[in-house]
Amino acid sequence: MASIDIQGVRKSYGTVPVLHNVDLSIQDGEFVVLVGPSGCGKSTLLRMVAGLEGITSGAIRIGERVVNELAPKDRDIAMVFQSYALYPHMTVRDNMNYSLRLRRTPAERMAHVVSAAASKLGLDTFLDRKPRTLSGGQRQRVAMGRSIVRQPQAFLFDEPLSNLDARLREQMRVEIKKLHRDLGTTSIYVTHDQVEAMTLADRIVAMNGGVVQQVGTPLDLYERPTNLFVAGFIGSPAINIINAVLRHDGEQRLIALESGERIPAPPRVGGHDGQAVKVGIRPEDVQISAQAEGDFAGHVELVEPMGLGTIVHLGTAHHALKAFVVERVNYPVGTNIAYRLPASKLHIFDAKTGQRLPE
Amino acid sequence: MSTMPLYEEAAPRRPAPLRRLALGLEPYLYIAPSVILIATIMLVPLIVGLSYAFRDMQLINPFSGGFIGLEHFRALWTDAAFWLSMKNTLVWTFASVALQFAFGLVLALLLNSPFPGRGIVQALVFLPWAVPTFLSGLNWAWLFNPVVGPLPHWMAALGILPAPENILSDPSVAIWGPIIANVWWGIPFFAITLLAALQSIPQDIYEAASIDGAGAWRRFTDITLPFLAPTIAIAVLLRTVWIANFADLIIVMTNGGPADQTQIVSSYIFTQAFRRLDFGYASAIAMVLLVLLLAYSFVIILLRQSLLRR
Repeated sequence: MASIDIQGVRKSYGTVPVLHNVDLSIQDGEFVVLVGPSGCGKSTLLRMVAGLEGITSGAIRIGERVVNELAPKDRDIAMVFQSYALYPHMTVRDNMNYSLRLRRTPAERMAHVVSAAASKLGLDTFLDRKPRTLSGGQRQRVAMGRSIVRQPQAFLFDEPLSNLDARLREQMRVEIKKLHRDLGTTSIYVTHDQVEAMTLADRIVAMNGGVVQQVGTPLDLYERPTNLFVAGFIGSPAINIINAVLRHDGEQRLIALESGERIPAPPRVGGHDGQAVKVGIRPEDVQISAQAEGDFAGHVELVEPMGLGTIVHLGTAHHALKAFVVERVNYPVGTNIAYRLPASKLHIFDAKTGQRLPE
Repeated sequence: MSTMPLYEEAAPRRPAPLRRLALGLEPYLYIAPSVILIATIMLVPLIVGLSYAFRDMQLINPFSGGFIGLEHFRALWTDAAFWLSMKNTLVWTFASVALQFAFGLVLALLLNSPFPGRGIVQALVFLPWAVPTFLSGLNWAWLFNPVVGPLPHWMAALGILPAPENILSDPSVAIWGPIIANVWWGIPFFAITLLAALQSIPQDIYEAASIDGAGAWRRFTDITLPFLAPTIAIAVLLRTVWIANFADLIIVMTNGGPADQTQIVSSYIFTQAFRRLDFGYASAIAMVLLVLLLAYSFVIILLRQSLLRR
């Protein structure tokens, strides 16, 4: 096991830059998830750590070694691919012990390690089968087994669950988390699925357009998104964003929504009088009431029951708003609803830069 | 509860025997015209041709044409020229296929790795395939001719030949002239076929192998070759049959000479049929060649099946 240190790393294809100056320190044993929309450079960054892509500038260290010029086979890392990349002409056993055979591991030790990994992953009965006879979930397990038999310095996961159906994805997510708890190996995990990121990560690295937007624990990113991108990307249903202007009224600080209504600003928020801002509020923080107990009035446009709770889509004078409530409400469309936007739950971003206002 | 009615109700509705026969024959009647057409076009010439092997068919003898049984095969058994041509066929086929395959694989591997101008190089590489065989035979015959061609002088300068002579007129090495021409002409076939197979190998399998610790050679032997094996088997089978039958270059470059040293079975058939005009004997040789090639193909198909099953 080892820490991974990424310093000032850039990547460009010809003149097209895809990664701008990425700095990231991953602790020994940490599970870090790179998350972002497709094309944000997260897979490229992972492949650079693996050694499958060259590094345009900067340095990547695994443990104490700078690995910039090392071939993938000399970096002592293991990778799980989205397509699993199993060797179709080899049995599950041979897939799993291929790396050990290349390292001339003694046969008894190899058999021991493979059977231990197979029983950990529930693959014991499949060892003599070819990958094509396995289901997607089983292939996924073989790909993970192939990684763990080597006891590498780090695991790299490149969207490993994207090809599985929703039920299986959830199940494998839990297994990956357990595996990490048991093995404690440093892991970098790439995904575009923010639920996977939230549930698996010790720390999330949110990326967009080749730039790291925010690094932090899942709840950091959820509760204090550093900019509009992170606020919008993390969380499902997605955060509500409302255009507004900051108003300083003597000692009182107010937010004037585009509908003209004013609400108190969160305590300690910075910014100046007249500054155009975007106000974010998570759907579960919007308080709604059919008994007209609220600051503003709206009406129900759509109700999405989710079992776990209900998403209520509100129509108001100037903006649409989603509210998530745990109760099983079933308002008819058009019902008048009063809602409240609690000041402490508001996220205020500069309208021009998209950055969170300093506090 | 009864399980009978379905069965019993169905019974009276069964059509009369004649009608049943017509219904049974119907699909065969529909496909009959095309089957008859294909059989006529493919099988009749084959059978007629094979029947010559058992008849005395000489174009210059108007009284020939009678059935002579296995007489041709008995003559064949003691025909030294035939056995020489069998040996030459083995050398010719094995050397040509092996060299075409080896160079074709190298070429396919080179063309599979990206470099600037790959598209143009790919197109150029496949040019020999488009050259008519008679033209390439003539071209190579001239290249080997010390009067007009540079090759004998180069080979003499490199010490391969003691003097700049025409290798096509030297009985001990003449067979290599057509083999070299054949290799030049046939490399593109292997290159195209193998390149297509190479490009169908998913890239991430190579990436997984390189992370697993495989160097370039192990990636080639553990990934590339197993993926290519079925294609290699079928390409080698096709080319072997093709080349064993392929007399064009030999006829053009050496005409089987000097002293039958470049005569292969198929060029011997050509010589017997169209130079000596003995169609019966030529047909008997052709039949032997057919049986040998069928046996060979059968073995290769079994091999390929077992490769695919693995």
